[in-house]
Amino acid sequence: MTDPDKSVAPVAEDATRRAALVALFIGITAIAAGYAAAFSHGGAPTWAAWLLALGIPVALAAIMILGATRGRRGIGALKIPFAFVALVLVIGFGAALALPATEGPLSTLWLGLPARAAIVIYGVGLLPIVVLPIAYALTFETQTLSAEDVERVRALARENRAAESSAAGGPKGDRPPG
Amino acid sequence: MISAPSVSALLQVALPNAARPAVVAVGILYFAVVLGISVWAARRTRTARDFFVAGKGIGLVALTVASVSVSVSGFAFIGGPGFIYAVGLGAMYIVLPAAVTNVMGAWVLAKRMRLLGEARSLITIPDAIGARYRSRAAQGLSAIAILVGIVGYMATNALAMGVVINSIFGVGLGWGIWIGMGVTLAYSASGGILAGIYNDVFQGTLMALASVLVFLFVLKFGGGLGEISRTILAHDAAFLGPWGKLTPLAALSFFFVFSMGSLGQPQAVHKYYMLRDPLQLKWYPLLKTLGLVLVLLLYFGVGVGVKAFVLGGRLAPLASPDQATPALLLNVTPIILAALVFSGVAAATMSAANSFINIGAAVVTHDLPVAFGKRVKNELRWGRTVTVLIAIAAAITAQRSGTMVAFLGIFGWGLFASTLVPALAVGLNWQGATRAGAMASIATGLVVTLALETAAYWKAFTFPAGVTASAVAMVSSFLVFFVVSWLTRRDAPAELDPDVRLVMEL
Repeated sequence: MTDPDKSVAPVAEDATRRAALVALFIGITAIAAGYAAAFSHGGAPTWAAWLLALGIPVALAAIMILGATRGRRGIGALKIPFAFVALVLVIGFGAALALPATEGPLSTLWLGLPARAAIVIYGVGLLPIVVLPIAYALTFETQTLSAEDVERVRALARENRAAESSAAGGPKGDRPPG
Repeated sequence: MISAPSVSALLQVALPNAARPAVVAVGILYFAVVLGISVWAARRTRTARDFFVAGKGIGLVALTVASVSVSVSGFAFIGGPGFIYAVGLGAMYIVLPAAVTNVMGAWVLAKRMRLLGEARSLITIPDAIGARYRSRAAQGLSAIAILVGIVGYMATNALAMGVVINSIFGVGLGWGIWIGMGVTLAYSASGGILAGIYNDVFQGTLMALASVLVFLFVLKFGGGLGEISRTILAHDAAFLGPWGKLTPLAALSFFFVFSMGSLGQPQAVHKYYMLRDPLQLKWYPLLKTLGLVLVLLLYFGVGVGVKAFVLGGRLAPLASPDQATPALLLNVTPIILAALVFSGVAAATMSAANSFINIGAAVVTHDLPVAFGKRVKNELRWGRTVTVLIAIAAAITAQRSGTMVAFLGIFGWGLFASTLVPALAVGLNWQGATRAGAMASIATGLVVTLALETAAYWKAFTFPAGVTASAVAMVSSFLVFFVVSWLTRRDAPAELDPDVRLVMEL
């Protein structure tokens, strides 16, 4: 590891990362507002649940984008699965909130469940499984990690170890040992 | 993913005596396999690295199955189906996040944690926080937060093991606790995480097998999901509403806590260090998600199926919702299936306990000394010693007070989520995050969780419907993290080492 004084360089924040951070903050703030509203006299207003129904998909999509973005390349083709999953969650939660409760003995069943339950169980619970892990695997080398990336980290680690062994015993400040 | 409520839910269960010859025989066979794996692993554990991260030498399939195993505790088999039986489909919001959590963890944490391990030879979660913020203080604070969470988890898992083993062998709760903890201790102390991983592989396979078989049996016995739904809709239509009998706010709150909170669960995140080849991460989320779906089939199948069987008069009304799984197994399914599930429940509690013992030992022998600028000379020997002490302390605590133990167990998940998610998951992906922001966030999560849970426990305060201490603590921790990092943003560049910066930029 290098001398702390030499490591001071401006932080790198691309547009995608910045947008994801803003979206994450907005999503969490919406969820916080939903909880805060629940403390009001007379219990949680109807719109409190809507804040969570919108805030949760926004926050989850934002943190996934934050993790997946790579510098100026952004999230590349992943924008499609991320948008799809955020929409599935918003539509799933929204439909469950907005559709009238019509469950009864004569309800039409969708794959064995009444409509609103089917939207939640199969839409929110299963559709993302079909999309996200596959998208992760298909874009792994280009978007997540390549053999070159691993080698770059290993090479830097070797350099740091060599530098440390040649300057063994030097003060490290508040840094934890590696 | 769903360890948190497990403990408290399992504690409320007085499992019936299941000590039939087949159940006992399968139980004995299960323990024999666990001990066999432990002996094998102990011979291969020679260093602290072997003990805490299995020498970073675990293959993809083994790591995936082990990770599924530690993500699911006895709650998925006992408390969860009971919860569905009680509140309907609203209880599904605890497990629905599984559709996104594994791949979210892979994008947000897996690559960076694994590469940090490569760059710095890190072995714990607080190690990663210390390296990210170049701060021993941040490492120490996160270690304390993890230790507080583990105290609760360990005691509750010890009690859960006692309940299950007493049900299988009829030996009494006290002996159940000591037998379960003794076996777990045997493999934790001798083979460390290596024994834990390979026992998790065995236990996870057992859990998946039991879950799938029970799910298929329920579908066959009930005439298919459509027939099961028709029976329920004729008697209790609200049960199959999209929120069940919960309020929408409560159900969505479950989804938030169990999705975002998954990024801070050390028993799952710690596993990222162990993968032999970082490039194998490619298939990890897919395999883990599929594994979790298999293990969670029982959760849905038994909860909904037993409701239909009771409403349709095919099963006697339950004394309490938590009897859903035992009632089905002991009255309806073939006894060999019951034997498999009871062993599966024991497996779930033991695998969770082993993982927490190992992480707790690493905190005591590695992270806390590092926070004070020290290094324990023989981490392997001290790791084994602390493992024994944690297990004994957990067993004694479990025997002392059921209600206090239940209280300790309730906040484990929320505490990990509120203290670790912003600092670790966001911090590893945002170069503008600062040491002050991370420490303020961890401290906020710790204080808010403990204060609110304690106030609620002593009935000094009642949450509105749908709001939980975990959720409030997590959003508070997030907001504090953002605000303090923004206020101290000038410090951010100086807090990043070049190797950490590289890992964050890749």
